[in-house]
Amino acid sequence: MHGEPYRPCGAIDHLVGRRQFMGDLAAGAGIVAGSSLLASPGGAAEIAGLGKSVVVVYLNGGISQFESWDPKPHLETGGPFQAIPTTVPGVHVSELLPHTARQMHRMALVRSLNTRQDDHGLANNLVRSGRMTQSATEYPELGAVVAKGLEKPDFPLPGHIATMPAGAGGRGNNAAYLGPRYASVNVGAEKGGVVNARLPDGMTVTADKRRHDWRRFVNNRFRGRVDSAEIDAYTQTYEQALRLMERRELFDITREPTRVRDTYGNSEFGKQLLLARRLVEQEVPFVEIQHGGWDFHHNNFEFHLHYVADFDRPFANFMEDLAQRGHLERTLVIVMTEFGRTPRINTGYGRDHYSRAWSIALGGCGIQHGAVIGKTDAKGAEVTDRQVDHRHLFHTYLQAIGIDSSGDFDIAGRKFPVADPAAGPIRELLA
Amino acid sequence: MTPKPTPVIVEPASAKQVNDWAHSSNLLCCRVDPAGKYVVAGAIDHTIQRWEVATGRKTTLSGHRNWVRTLAFSPDGKNLHSGGYDGRLLAWEIGADDPKPFRDTQAHQGWLRGLAISSDGRLVATCGNDRLVKVWSTRDGGLVRELQGHPNIVYCVHFVPGSHELVSGDIVGNIFHWKAEGHEKTRAFDVKEIFFHIGDLAPFGGILSLGFSHDGRTLTASGLHKVTNAPGGNRRPVAVSFDWVSGEKRPKHESLKKELDGTMWRALHHPSGTLIGVMEKQVGFWNPGSPDVTHLAATPSEIFDCDLHPNQVDLFTAHHDGHLRQMRIGRPRQTAPG
Repeated sequence: MHGEPYRPCGAIDHLVGRRQFMGDLAAGAGIVAGSSLLASPGGAAEIAGLGKSVVVVYLNGGISQFESWDPKPHLETGGPFQAIPTTVPGVHVSELLPHTARQMHRMALVRSLNTRQDDHGLANNLVRSGRMTQSATEYPELGAVVAKGLEKPDFPLPGHIATMPAGAGGRGNNAAYLGPRYASVNVGAEKGGVVNARLPDGMTVTADKRRHDWRRFVNNRFRGRVDSAEIDAYTQTYEQALRLMERRELFDITREPTRVRDTYGNSEFGKQLLLARRLVEQEVPFVEIQHGGWDFHHNNFEFHLHYVADFDRPFANFMEDLAQRGHLERTLVIVMTEFGRTPRINTGYGRDHYSRAWSIALGGCGIQHGAVIGKTDAKGAEVTDRQVDHRHLFHTYLQAIGIDSSGDFDIAGRKFPVADPAAGPIRELLA
Repeated sequence: MTPKPTPVIVEPASAKQVNDWAHSSNLLCCRVDPAGKYVVAGAIDHTIQRWEVATGRKTTLSGHRNWVRTLAFSPDGKNLHSGGYDGRLLAWEIGADDPKPFRDTQAHQGWLRGLAISSDGRLVATCGNDRLVKVWSTRDGGLVRELQGHPNIVYCVHFVPGSHELVSGDIVGNIFHWKAEGHEKTRAFDVKEIFFHIGDLAPFGGILSLGFSHDGRTLTASGLHKVTNAPGGNRRPVAVSFDWVSGEKRPKHESLKKELDGTMWRALHHPSGTLIGVMEKQVGFWNPGSPDVTHLAATPSEIFDCDLHPNQVDLFTAHHDGHLRQMRIGRPRQTAPG
């Protein structure tokens, strides 16, 4: 840990002090190239008054913990990559993460996950919802829970946004009993971000307003006769889409200065991160970025060489940019994946699915920076200290941003626990 | 004194394993010394294993600090050169009881992927993740040339027989032919059909081995193609040959009747004209000019490299299960079959 304990989302004086500290560190350690991104940040008071945000970087398919957060160099199970030091004394990560290693003082690692689920689909659901889907009950994913938990009246943007490489549309089916209002809205980092967000050729603003007035009129008349949550959801989606169209410039990353775009890079992932930063600045409660797939049953080391490099620099720049602008104090960043990879190197020099001992990284708001939770054995085959799972992580994510994970959702009079009541947060991971 | 090769007949259908030597760690590469006394293999436990062919006596050579990926003997058989994922080029006196590196060169940034020795023994060429081909003096270990131009990882390098010209192959399907001196390319061969790209993230495949026919008229590259699921490893092994003089591309060498989910890690030309390729757990044999494999000889474990004994009838294969296997693939012409 560095200096004073980090107080998340803290007061202005703490914020300024931390910025000064980071500036000193950047000068001394030469953080990420082009780190001076503090172009036109909001004032500290303004930022401190904003709500929290969560950004999930989802590494689809299962990144190898050996080639990322829990390297085991010089062991045959560890593969050919070395470990490098980070900005947290004594903490090492894979040599494939040189830029992220310089952000580790803003992050924490959990190296003792045992989630007991090696199937992609089921594991995906597990880590996203913090619970195993039961036959009668589906659980909302983290994005939906955060969108509801951090919801503000009249907030003009969707509370749960998933960015896609190309301009995309539609919504996810990931809010379960919370309803489609909290399901993910899919946007892109290309082509202005949101498809079909402009009025069709020949449609004037006045004519558009008139047709929506007419829609609202007939909708309200019908709604007066029929009581339906489904109709309410459709209505809400329409209205949200209109608000989103009004704010479409927010999704257009070409409005960023060239030097900022250059810093994030020209990869699809970098563009999505830049879009995520723009959305965080607007207080969008939850943004998810996908990167992958990482399901390297074959050629694991060659693919990690390229994939981790594609992740590393843009991600580190994203963390740096958020920190420099003062938004990391109010933003929880989670690098999520569905499971790890086997210690055993298979006959194709791949690694297979492995949920018995794996890792994730997270940082920013509410997290004890520099913390490393748990350990695995020398071969990385078993958890040897502080075993935790998806349930504990889910509680931790929510508590880090101030949502009471021990509470209940009241859905039409029925109580649904926000997170699995059989587990709790990882206390030592919380700031 | 290197024995003069005996004319042999390759009999793929009669190929059989005659020796099996075990090591405790996966083997990535192997080479037989020009005198045929030793066979050496590089392992992922950072060691080189040396076996005496006659007795099977094993000696461990320690010096690398990462996976040992590539090996080559000097033409006189006295020295072994090794390269590994530690980026280092080591030189060993191979006949010593307990060989130690007599030269240790940090040759590349990142992994050293391939090396080759010129036929006069004066130069050793290396290549690696830093996209460079480097040429070193075997006399003093000094850097002679550094060749830039590959756009991505360089997997393999080979001297043009009888010269100091070089060919090098990369992960994105380029083969470059370099002049004997200077830093200029003479020409480029495009083998993009054995390279696949996953989105904009990672190349897959490329030129995994390069070799010349014994008459020097054919250059052959091996690798993979027909990729349907790269992370899952669904691909087919292939070799592509060129007429060395004209540069004309010849029909691919594949396993068509029996589809193999594998990579051809090495293709080598037998002096008889038969092309030999190792892929998955199989040793494949192609008659000259044949697109489809003539015969497949199965082994117990995935093969990552092979080399021919100077007797031309024994093929050594390096396996994922840590075993080095000796397969008899033919017989001297004057002996009776069987």
